[in-house]
Amino acid sequence: MIELEAVEKAYGSGSTEALVLKGISFRVEAGEYVAIMGASGTGKTTLLNILGCLDKPTGGHYRLEDTDVVSLDDDALSHLRNRKIGFVFQMFHLLERTKALKNVMLPLIYAEEYPDDAEERAKKALTSVGLADRIQYKPGELSGGQQQRVAIARALITDPAIVLADEPTGNLDRRSGLEVLAIFRRLQQEGRTIIVVTHDQAVAEHAGRILLLSDGAIAHDRPVAEPRDAEAELASLPKEDRR
Amino acid sequence: MSFLWVAAEGICALSANKLRNFLMMLGMIVGVALLAVIMAVGKGTQQKVIKRVDTWPIRVIKVNAGGGKGYTRPQAGVATLKLEDADAIRDRIRGWDLMLCVAEKRGLPMKFGSRQCQADVFAVEPTYCEMQSWPVQEGEEIGTEDIRTMARVCVVGTTLAKTLFGEDNPIGEYIYIGKVRFRVKGILKSRGIGPGGTDSDNRALIPLTTGMRRLFNQGYISYVRVRMKSVAAVPNAVKTIRQLLRKRHHISPPETDDFSIVTAKQIAEVARGISRTLTAVLVALAGLSLLVGGVVMMNILLISVAERTKEIGLRRALGATQHAILVQFLTEALSVTLIGMTLGAALGWSVSVALRRYTPVITETAWEPFALVIPFALLFGVAFGVHPARRAARLHPVEAMR
Repeated sequence: MIELEAVEKAYGSGSTEALVLKGISFRVEAGEYVAIMGASGTGKTTLLNILGCLDKPTGGHYRLEDTDVVSLDDDALSHLRNRKIGFVFQMFHLLERTKALKNVMLPLIYAEEYPDDAEERAKKALTSVGLADRIQYKPGELSGGQQQRVAIARALITDPAIVLADEPTGNLDRRSGLEVLAIFRRLQQEGRTIIVVTHDQAVAEHAGRILLLSDGAIAHDRPVAEPRDAEAELASLPKEDRR
Repeated sequence: MSFLWVAAEGICALSANKLRNFLMMLGMIVGVALLAVIMAVGKGTQQKVIKRVDTWPIRVIKVNAGGGKGYTRPQAGVATLKLEDADAIRDRIRGWDLMLCVAEKRGLPMKFGSRQCQADVFAVEPTYCEMQSWPVQEGEEIGTEDIRTMARVCVVGTTLAKTLFGEDNPIGEYIYIGKVRFRVKGILKSRGIGPGGTDSDNRALIPLTTGMRRLFNQGYISYVRVRMKSVAAVPNAVKTIRQLLRKRHHISPPETDDFSIVTAKQIAEVARGISRTLTAVLVALAGLSLLVGGVVMMNILLISVAERTKEIGLRRALGATQHAILVQFLTEALSVTLIGMTLGAALGWSVSVALRRYTPVITETAWEPFALVIPFALLFGVAFGVHPARRAARLHPVEAMR
């Protein structure tokens, strides 16, 4: 599914060259739920950008399904992102003044061919994240948790191979965060590959495997013996806290 | 990528920030409205000028002393045109029915008692009043007998009469023109301000012979007017007069004429030329304002790109190619120019109609601004939209999302 081999990323050149990623190798199989952890400055974001095909490594190999990402040009990378990758960002990145439905449909505009059932698909995606009654709302009229769920629906609309989430709970309260993590768990159970980048141990423990980055290299890579269950934690929250 | 859907994104952005887009359109609106009004005024003025020029009697040929384009006024002090030339014209041209020789001097001192002023003096033949369609309102015109006897008589214009005599009747009184005493025998009808901006009524007519021998002391005249029996005879007469005068004045080919011939046709051409030049200058000004509008639009688009960096980054992350971003922003620019210019053309049309209805300005509403909107909108949209659109497209998704 995903295969990184001695991936390097350097910024600058010559004597001022800074190596941010120093030969990273790992594989992620289809259907895995992986958390990438690390303190700030360890190359987390850089790694995420490479995984998301937003940036290319300066060394090594990156294969996404059967595609050799390193050899692709800018247009091919754009198409690849559109087809294979669903992004979920810390700041949601929804278009203001645009209804939830249109926000979710946005990636389809850049698809090879605009599907006839675009609106149906967007409604289905919004329903699957529990926002069936919010499709005509604009981001400003939604809570943070709801906005992030719109963003997840947007990530799912193109039926991507992987969902890449960058601190998806970073701007959310505990309940909304758990709701997002519960959705990720459900997506994994449906067979999707999920990669979450976080600095939060509690968030990472919802995944099945944790990669710890330290100084541009993988410090350790271990499975989580018993992943936390977001549904159960939601149920155990005090009742008055529930919306 | 579907071109139409991406283009639609560009149009959607228009409704998102109405004030900004209105400001972008403003330059286009004003520029095109200005252009439309100028075209309408230009067309109206041109027709007015032509109408006015058409009052030049079409059967009349005027031969001015002095070369160049003498459609304004004969040059002062040019001694090339003689009475003998006029006689030769009289003999050689067939089909004329009226001729007039005039020697003029502008701004001569006039005096009656203690009152003094300056006026234009025209030494004329008895045909003057008929040729100029300018009869006397009181008294008599310059007559054949006055010419023959070199009589010291004059006919005054109303302004001159008023200056020298106030409300009194000048007829029969004696005035001094320069150092020569003249008897006033008539008053011309009032004509008001002439096309050159001077007062036509501040003048005195004296007999041609008296003027040349007794007042000006000169053997030359200022111009000859020949009225033909028919318009059709004018072109040939012009040709004959030119040949005749060149021969008499011993002018051979490389040298230019020392006289100039003016006809109605020629005057109309010159007038049309002037109004065309004027329109061209004004159109250039309107074009300049459009240009400024385009630059304003480009700047606002650049600001808009900077402001929407995150949005552009997001779109790139979601799979938009550089081309898609370029198309989106170009569409936005084109929509602004197209909508703005259409509004401008409509505004210009309304203003032209209002001007015609409520002010003395003559306008002729033109369809051209509407026809020009599409090519102009394309031109300006691309010319001023491509730079911001390119800048947007070249943003690196990672940098933009930060």
